[in-house]
Amino acid sequence: MNKDHIAALLTLCLLSVQSIADVPYSALLNDEANGNDWLSYSGGYRSERFSPLSQINTNNVDQLKVIWAYQMQPTGISGAALQESTPLVHNGVMYLTESPSSVSAIDAASGRLLWHFVPDINNEVLNIGFPRINRGAALLNDKVYVATLDGRLFALDAGTGAVRWETEVADNALGFSLTLAPLALEDKIIVGVSGAEAGVRAFVDAYDAETGDRVWRTYTVPAPGEPGSETWQGDDWETGGGSTWLTGSYDPELDLLYWTTGNPAPDWNGDLRPGDNLFTCAVLALDPDTGAMQWHFQFTPHDTHDWDANQIPVLVDGEFEGQERKLLALANRNAFYYLLDRETGEFLLGEEYSYQTWAEGIDDNGRPIVIPNTEPTRKGNLVWPSLQGATNWFSPSYNPDTEQLFVPNRRMGAIYFKADVDYEPGMPFLGGGEQPLDGDDASGAILALDVMTGEQQWEFELQTPLWSGVMATAGGLVFGSSNEGNFFALDAEEGDPLWFFNTGAHIRTNPMGFAVDGKQRVAIIGGQTLFVFGLE
Amino acid sequence: MAYPKYRFSSLLLGLCLLASSLVQSQDLENGETLYRTLCARCHGMLGEGGEGPSLKRPTLIHAPDDDTLVSIILGGIPGTGMPGSRQLRGDDGPDVAAYVRSLGQLPPEEMPGDPAAGELAYNNGNCASCHIIKGVGTGIGPELSQVGQRRNLEYLRRSLINPGAEQPRIVDRFRGSLNAFLTVRIVSEYGTYEGMRVNEDAFTVQMRDLTGEYYSFVKQDLISYDKALGHSFMPGYDSVFSPQQIDDVVSYLMSLK
Repeated sequence: MNKDHIAALLTLCLLSVQSIADVPYSALLNDEANGNDWLSYSGGYRSERFSPLSQINTNNVDQLKVIWAYQMQPTGISGAALQESTPLVHNGVMYLTESPSSVSAIDAASGRLLWHFVPDINNEVLNIGFPRINRGAALLNDKVYVATLDGRLFALDAGTGAVRWETEVADNALGFSLTLAPLALEDKIIVGVSGAEAGVRAFVDAYDAETGDRVWRTYTVPAPGEPGSETWQGDDWETGGGSTWLTGSYDPELDLLYWTTGNPAPDWNGDLRPGDNLFTCAVLALDPDTGAMQWHFQFTPHDTHDWDANQIPVLVDGEFEGQERKLLALANRNAFYYLLDRETGEFLLGEEYSYQTWAEGIDDNGRPIVIPNTEPTRKGNLVWPSLQGATNWFSPSYNPDTEQLFVPNRRMGAIYFKADVDYEPGMPFLGGGEQPLDGDDASGAILALDVMTGEQQWEFELQTPLWSGVMATAGGLVFGSSNEGNFFALDAEEGDPLWFFNTGAHIRTNPMGFAVDGKQRVAIIGGQTLFVFGLE
Repeated sequence: MAYPKYRFSSLLLGLCLLASSLVQSQDLENGETLYRTLCARCHGMLGEGGEGPSLKRPTLIHAPDDDTLVSIILGGIPGTGMPGSRQLRGDDGPDVAAYVRSLGQLPPEEMPGDPAAGELAYNNGNCASCHIIKGVGTGIGPELSQVGQRRNLEYLRRSLINPGAEQPRIVDRFRGSLNAFLTVRIVSEYGTYEGMRVNEDAFTVQMRDLTGEYYSFVKQDLISYDKALGHSFMPGYDSVFSPQQIDDVVSYLMSLK
C-alpha cells in the first residue's frame, strides 16, 4: 500500500467518523424510541431513563456477562476519584465523561479509545459542597458538549475531540462550578450551575449551539422588585443559592423546559435568610427561547436541611383521577413524591414515599405541613432524612407501559447543626452541618411506585444508602446498583433480584443501555471502571 | 519485662506530647470554625465520618505526621475524594490540622485500678482466647493492642460488663459502613451457622464462626438470616470478675497505647 492509498483510506475513515457523529435535533426528539442509541443524559427529553430494548429480559438476564471494560484515565487532579457520569452512545460510539471534566470517545463494540479530551483545569479549582465530578456530555449535530468543574462550557468536534468553542459560564473563584450534563435543544445548549454552598446566586443559561454565545440567563433567586423577591429580606438574595446543578427535562409540544433548583444559602442557618426563599428547592418551567419563567413550584419553602430539589423531573402523560393530563413526576430529596400538571404547574399530589420526621404531610396547595422543632439547632437535632435526602441526583426510571416509577431510596437520619457564618466570596457559606447515622442504622432501597398515586408496589432493600440510579427496560427489568459495588437486575413486576455482579468498587452513577451490531448492551461504572454487559 | 515496656511507654508519651504540641500551639477555635465550614460536610460535624471517613481516631492512615496532615488539608489526596482547601491562608491549615488531631485524642483520664493486676486478670480470665494483644492470643473479637488510644474508661467498662452495648463500625470510604462484630444466625439447606458478620451486600453475606472459619452465602439461597443487633458472643464479665478486677482490667486496657 503506498502513501496515496493510506491517505485515501484516512480520508475515508475521517469521512465516516464525521458522518456517524451527526445527531440532528430530530434524533434527540426520537431518543426514547431509539433503543440503539442513548443520546442525552436521561435517555430522552422526558427523562424516563427507560430502554425500549428487550433482547435482555427476565428469562435470560442471568446469563449477562462483561463484554468489555474501560479503565478511566487519571488526570493528576486531586480529589477526582468519584465517577458519576452517564455515557452517551450514538451509532456505535460512546461519549463518556471522566472526573473532573474529561471526555473519552470509545468504540462501543470493543471498548477501544477513539479520542480523549482533557480540559486544562487547575488543581486549585474550587468545588465547594460537592465532589470533583462530571455527570455527562450532550450531543447535537456534529458536536459534543461538556461543562467543566471550573465553570466553562466546551463544544468539541464529535469526530476528533478538537475544541470548536469554549466559553466561561461563571466565575469559579466565587464558587461557581459545572458538574451536570448539558441539555441540547434544537439550537441551544442549556446548563446550570453548582455553588449554593459558596453563596452564589444561581441561574440557568442557554448558549447558541453553533457559536457559544449566551442567548439568555434566568436567575433562580429574584432581585428586588422581581417576582418572588418578596420572599427575601434585605441583601440576602445576593448570596441566596438556588443552584441548578442537575440536567432538566423538555416538552417539545408545550415547548417548555423544566429545570430544578437547589437549597437557599446558607444551607442550615435559616435565621440568616427569613422567608420562603423563592425560587430555591423548586422546579421551574422556562420558555426555551427567552428563559422566561412560565410557572414555578417550590417543594420545600425556606429549606434548612439542604434538601435541594435537584432530582430528575420525569414527564408523564396519562390519566390522573379520570382526566388525561400532561404531568411532571418528581420523587424529592425531602422524602415526598410529587405530581404536578406540567402545563400549569398545578399541584396534584404529594405523598410520603420514605421515612421522614419533618412534615405531617403536604397540604392542598402543595406546601409541607412542617412539624415544629425540626430545624437544625446549635446542639444538634435528629431528623429524617439526612441532608443527602431520601433520594438525590441519581436518576429514577419510568416505564410508560406499566406506569411504574422506580426510585432509588436512601434511608438515613442525621443530627443537624446550626452555626454562625459570614459570607466571604469563594468560601463555604453553610451555617451548620450534619452528623449522619451510619452502620446498620441506615439502609437503601429501590422502590417501585405507581406513578399516578405514589403508592409503593414493592421495595428491594440495600445494605447502605445508595448513590446510584436505576434504568428500567422493555425486557421487564430494572437495573440498579449499590455502594457495595453490586450491579443488579430486578424483576420490574415484583422486585425480585434476577442477576447481580460484583464490580469490586462503589457505584455512584446511573445505568444506561444501547445496542451495537444488533446486540443489546447495559453499562455501569464501578469505581474507576466502566463495565459493559451483554448476553454475547 | 518491665524495662522494655517502660521504654515503649516513654516513647509513646513523647509522641503524644509531639501531637498535642500542635494542638497546644495552634488556634483550636479557628480550626474548629474552619473545620465546620470546610470539612464537616463530608467528615461529619462531630468528626465521626459521613461521606468521608471518620477523623475521630488517634492515627490517620494518610497523615501519620502533622506536616502531612497540613499538606493534605491544603492539597488533597490524589486518587481519592479528598480535595485540597487551597483558599486557606497563613496559619489556617495548621489550625484545622490541630483541630482534626484533637478529634482523635481522648482527654486524659485517671485509671480506676491497677493495670498490672488487670493484665493478670486478663490472662487468667481467658480473654486471649478471643482477643489479640501485641501478637498474642486468638483473633475472634477486636484486636486490643492499642485500644487505650481510641476507647475511654466508660466505653471499656461498658464493653466488659455488657459487650453488646457498643457496636463499632466497619467503615469503608465509599462502600458505606456496617456494624462490626454483628452476631448473625444463618440457616441454609446445609445447616445452621452462627457467628459474626464480616461483610454484606444486598445479595451475599460473609460470616465467621467462633472457630474462625469463614463462610459465604448467597442470600437468595438461605432459609433464614437473622441479625442480633446489640448481642455479643462475649459474656458479660461482671459475673466473672470482681468489681475491683473490672477496674483493673479497664486500667490495663487503658494502658494499651
